Amino acid sequence: MEYVSPIDPRVAEPLERAPRPAALDARRVVLLDITKNRGKEFLDRVEQHLKRRGAHTFRVSKETFSRPASSEVIERVAIHGDLVVEGLAD
Amino acid sequence: MAQFTLPLVGGDPVSLTTLVEQGPRLLVFAHADCPTSHLALRHLAQLEAGPVKPVLIAEEPPEEAARMARRSGVGFPVLAQEAPFPVSDQFGIEAVPTAVLVDASSRAVESLVGWDRAGYERLLGGPLPDLGPAVKPGCGSRLHEPAVRAGLDEVEDMFERGWTDGLPVVPPTPERVERMLGGRDAGRSLGAVPPSGGEATLERVAACAVLAGCRPEYFPVVEAAVQAALDPVLNPHGLAVTTQAGGVVMVVNGPARERLGLNAGMGALGPGARANMTIGRALRLVLTLTGDARAGRLDRSTLSTPAKLGLCIAEDEERSPWQPLHVERGIEPGSSAVTVIAADAPLSISDHRSRTPDELAWVLAQAATVTWSPCWWPMDDDSLFVIGPEHAAMFASAGWSKERLREAIFAAATRTAGELKRGETTPAVWESPDDRPIHKWADASRILIVVAGGEAGRYSAVLGPCDGMQTQPVTREVRWST
Repeated sequence: MEYVSPIDPRVAEPLERAPRPAALDARRVVLLDITKNRGKEFLDRVEQHLKRRGAHTFRVSKETFSRPASSEVIERVAIHGDLVVEGLAD
Repeated sequence: MAQFTLPLVGGDPVSLTTLVEQGPRLLVFAHADCPTSHLALRHLAQLEAGPVKPVLIAEEPPEEAARMARRSGVGFPVLAQEAPFPVSDQFGIEAVPTAVLVDASSRAVESLVGWDRAGYERLLGGPLPDLGPAVKPGCGSRLHEPAVRAGLDEVEDMFERGWTDGLPVVPPTPERVERMLGGRDAGRSLGAVPPSGGEATLERVAACAVLAGCRPEYFPVVEAAVQAALDPVLNPHGLAVTTQAGGVVMVVNGPARERLGLNAGMGALGPGARANMTIGRALRLVLTLTGDARAGRLDRSTLSTPAKLGLCIAEDEERSPWQPLHVERGIEPGSSAVTVIAADAPLSISDHRSRTPDELAWVLAQAATVTWSPCWWPMDDDSLFVIGPEHAAMFASAGWSKERLREAIFAAATRTAGELKRGETTPAVWESPDDRPIHKWADASRILIVVAGGEAGRYSAVLGPCDGMQTQPVTREVRWST
């Protein structure tokens, strides 16, 4: 049976995640605040834990939680980090 | 010794004998619904000249085989093979991609199942670029698809492909899609559909309209709805992936309603009318299938709502005492239009007691106060009121304009900061003194009003808001010509 597919095959494959690092010391971690209520407090605590494990941290904020990050934000994340922690929920 | 003749994309049918006259060939069996096949073709498109030349045998009709070739950019011959796939059967193909090395005597020497870059390099005798995974399993060959093997049950085939919203769909055969397109340019794109970014070509939109059960004459409304739904002003990406229940609803205005048999009367928000159900569904299928906003995957809605099967509301402009929604929003009265709105699940509002418009407006406002949240106020998001005809008649006989009703609802949907602090409320309210009055909405302009429903029964409904989406409704005119 031949059908016309509603699906775009170019985006049908899920993206592969990078492998998890074995350790955090000397790794650059970006903490991305998506500007949900009190996300900053959560990221402050996470940042403390990461620093204790020897990671270098850098803070970036998204403009709003309800829209995808701008290319500027994505670029800053990419420039300043090898790893990202995203502050995601209320 | 193998033997076949198949249609060649961009040329006359060609036999295997002719192909191997130029030397050994790597026959690559693949089909369009297999992501690993596309991965393999993207690599092969960059293959430099070597001792073995590939041939793509697409388990597809010629047009789809041509599309596969164009998308991947391969320069070698592409052959089209339609059901029941006798050549795949001849070579014992179980999965795609499968590469079969055939020598100059048309003998199959070796085969390789799945994507294996090193294996392909060895069979081709040349290097391939590194474009991603070196190894990846493929998918089943179409030879073994139930509809081919069993010879029946296209409906199950649609479920197996995942081309549904959980309900049966109409299989989008090329003939049905062509009729739906009605001569339009199949390749024209309405844009990328979030969250996956899949391209909403008119062909894919038409496929979704066929799947939904639309008649071809509905397509102009579906097209306008998709255009509106993809406008960034609506924020389709946020709406697709939020944990909120809500999604998009559409309101249709103008002559399209009568022309297509859209129901604006009894049962206006529920099932029963083909045009309403299938047009609403077609829009949702574009978002769900082309945009991959599937429940449990990229659509993270905790509970969702039955309205996300699709909700297409036709306004009863004839019974409404007010300007129709599309005219309010700048469209000529004689034109048809679709307005797409971010909306939470519908809430039914009963009022059989009110004797004055003020009483009724107060009741409508009270009902709206509990939508989305009774305390997270104010919300800078829209509520869509669907006013039933009996309720509309009360406002009409008192001479109330739509604007007056809007202001009355806005004013009545008020609580003090102290009352709101009993629950989950906004930082702005926490900072307010307890006795300050707070409105449900940031502004009265966030109250949208249409009229629809049966003539008997004093009911209205309110949909929305959706929180924090920074969304605005989008109206697009319906274009009837192709």
